[in-house]
Amino acid sequence: MNDANQSGHAIPWFTDFAEGPLWYVAATVFVFGVLWRIVGLLALGRGEDKSVPKQSGMAGGIKAILLHSVPHGGFFTHTAFHVIAGYMFHIGLFALLFFAAPHVDFLRERVLGFGWTPLPDWAFIVAAQISFAGLILLWVRRVADPVIRRLKDAHDYIGSGLTFLVMLTGCFALQESRPVLAGIHMFTVDIWLIYFPFSRLMHAFTFLFSRYYTGAFYGRRGVTP
Amino acid sequence: MVRNTGIAVLCRAVFVCFVFSLLTVFSIDVNPASAQSPAGRDVSQGESLNGAVPGNTTGGVSDSEFWRQVRSGAAGGLVPLVQSQGDEWSRWRGPLQTYGGWILAVVVGIILIYFAIRGRMRIEGGRTGMVIPRFSLTQRVAHWVIAILFVILGLSGLAIMFGRFVLIPVFGKDGFAAIASLSLQAHNLFGPLFVPAVIALFITFLRGNGFKMHDLKWIMKGGGFFGVHASSEKYNFGEKSWFWWAILTGIALSVTGLIMVLPGLGFERGTMQIANVIHTAAAILFMAVGIGHMYVGTIGIEGALEGMTRGTVDVNWAKEHHDMWYEQHADEATPDVAAAEAQAADGKV
Repeated sequence: MNDANQSGHAIPWFTDFAEGPLWYVAATVFVFGVLWRIVGLLALGRGEDKSVPKQSGMAGGIKAILLHSVPHGGFFTHTAFHVIAGYMFHIGLFALLFFAAPHVDFLRERVLGFGWTPLPDWAFIVAAQISFAGLILLWVRRVADPVIRRLKDAHDYIGSGLTFLVMLTGCFALQESRPVLAGIHMFTVDIWLIYFPFSRLMHAFTFLFSRYYTGAFYGRRGVTP
Repeated sequence: MVRNTGIAVLCRAVFVCFVFSLLTVFSIDVNPASAQSPAGRDVSQGESLNGAVPGNTTGGVSDSEFWRQVRSGAAGGLVPLVQSQGDEWSRWRGPLQTYGGWILAVVVGIILIYFAIRGRMRIEGGRTGMVIPRFSLTQRVAHWVIAILFVILGLSGLAIMFGRFVLIPVFGKDGFAAIASLSLQAHNLFGPLFVPAVIALFITFLRGNGFKMHDLKWIMKGGGFFGVHASSEKYNFGEKSWFWWAILTGIALSVTGLIMVLPGLGFERGTMQIANVIHTAAAILFMAVGIGHMYVGTIGIEGALEGMTRGTVDVNWAKEHHDMWYEQHADEATPDVAAAEAQAADGKV
């Protein structure tokens, strides 16, 4: 179990476990869990809307997807904070997830069989800093804002906390000097993947459906949501 | 493995010989005058004049001149092979670790002793159920962002600075190597975020933190820590001092931290060594007072933490700790906690 990597450091069994059996279990739960949730959601369908359509529901749905991606309707002062911090976090996370060199290597070798050009090191670090800044800002506001604090429950904190841990352990492993650090990062990723389908992290896939549904519902009635 | 080590040693020996050959050759070319006496005569003929070495034992260059060029890197435009300033940096760093560690230990010790004797400072009149808005949402966000960074940077910085002495006995050398690696990465990644956080802290808390004459009375009464009531406005002398202390050490940490984390900007090694010493000293000073602030704001004084979590404080807490501020805002006292929190969030404080 104690093989040695190229740098000569012993690879602990923990890293083998996190990158081996646990990774396969986590990936399986993630893929089938997400599919199960999405198919289940679509299979629910929606009741017949007997209202007389004033406008196209589809146009309303598309409009809602686009409008809800930017501050609109005079709400900028109230939404600027979470819009800016939200974009910082999500764009940074996207860049980290799909364009960090170690992740591109992992996806090529373990998942897809092909890769693409990763970000240079400096851009990867900047993306990580922007993402961390966004997450910390959103987190602090979630605790400090009296309205948002009352709207949130444990699942919100578990989901964002796990995401923070995944990012933090990834930051710890940046130097790629110790296999155990990569193992800890991989372990948190595995837990995150297993938790994902059963949590609000699913919004990464469902936000388009929910925005479209709301937009179509109101659009049919001639209202811009 | 043995073979690789042998090759590495051989390569290193060849490289050292090569570099010294270059230095000797270039030192003669760069400063031909050094090979001759002021009168223009070749000193290798056995005449020793003005520091030149007789006998041509070092190629006509004195030892001091040779090593000066090794240190300055003047020979042939090579980088310095011996950086004397590194010795000075080492001489500073050792005492900084020793005394810095003692300063932090003494601060923690004083807090523990004070807590053991005095216990938690309770709200003497008890809670009234009436609250007053105290900190806006913007202030609280700025505060908690820097608090989170303080914890991450503080722990990783302590591991880097004292880990060799404290963590190796616990985790072993291999374990410490992993902790040092993760600490370094965390410190470098989160460090730059500290810069905008300090600026935000300065902007959001500047108002009300100017020193005034009545702060002297607060000092004379020991800040209320020894059983005597000390009047104060929104911020007392201790809080004002902590604010300016955090800003000044924060600026020092930011500037020196950026110098070290951005070597690509062309800072010389000597500059980075000075930055390292200042950074370490500023960090110890920042943490020493910061630990006291954390104690006072959490377990030290009942009711203080709410101001920074919910944005409101109990009326009796306000009377006991910030009576002059309370007098100005007494009409805002309300039993409607949700309304007061909303008012604070809107910045009406």
